[in-house]
Amino acid sequence: MEAQSPFTTLIEISNYQSTTGKKNLPGDFALWIFIFAEMLVFGVLFVAYAFTRAYHVELFNESQLTLSRTSGAINTLVLITSSYFVVNGVSAIKQGLSKQCGYWLIGAFLLGGIFIIIKILEFHAKYAADISMSTNAFYMFYLSLTFFHFMHVLMGMIILAFIIFKVLNDGYSAKDYVGVETGASFWHMVDFLWIILFPLVYIIR
Amino acid sequence: MKQINSQSNISATVIWLILVALTLATWRIGEAGMVGKSAMLLLLFIAMIKSQMVANYFMALRHTRLIWRGIMFGYFVIVGGLIALAYLRSLA
Repeated sequence: MEAQSPFTTLIEISNYQSTTGKKNLPGDFALWIFIFAEMLVFGVLFVAYAFTRAYHVELFNESQLTLSRTSGAINTLVLITSSYFVVNGVSAIKQGLSKQCGYWLIGAFLLGGIFIIIKILEFHAKYAADISMSTNAFYMFYLSLTFFHFMHVLMGMIILAFIIFKVLNDGYSAKDYVGVETGASFWHMVDFLWIILFPLVYIIR
Repeated sequence: MKQINSQSNISATVIWLILVALTLATWRIGEAGMVGKSAMLLLLFIAMIKSQMVANYFMALRHTRLIWRGIMFGYFVIVGGLIALAYLRSLA
């Protein structure tokens, strides 16, 4: 018998249709490998932040006060709402409603744009205050974590833009919507990570 | 099929409203300047509940096999637990 690689085993698990009627992961399984890998990287960074803070509590608490909790909260609401729009977009395409799906996804894309603008304003304020990654350990984590996440939002918006273009040109249907589900899963991951990042970096002290 | 989708839209709306409420609660706790063990555990718990809701309802993992939900739940337990441990260490 031939030895199987862990990746082959994972593919088999993904293809296996459970007898209990449970479905497999929505969208393309390859993207889910990427999602789990991204979650792992962010998870390590979140834990590294918390343990580094344990050795520099006063520094972290003092620096954290310079962040705008309100803009962090607004960005959380923006991402949560955009995720909700994406859920509605997936639901629409499952019913074969391409136009409605496109409109929901355009809404999600625009909200992503609002997140980007708020984040750029936040980065600009820090830059204007002469704050950089080398200022101290807190800002090193704050800037790297939020910038890394920012890049994921941009990537998510590019994916959404491709899906919007395709869906508005009737590229998806009630029978073929894996691409929409795949992009949706990535967008939800971006939301999921910010939901942990926001209280960790902006609020908890 | 349409009825199933309409039910799923209603549950997504309820989840979205709960997520909004929990986000506002997190922001309010931050604005009130609440600190200490209880505030930290509460905020972390809220974050974990919110991310679990996104995974189960928005990512639709609640319909998937146990292994996928297990990976997500394990993530919450391990990452959330280690963060809590680090904060408790700093409070000791």
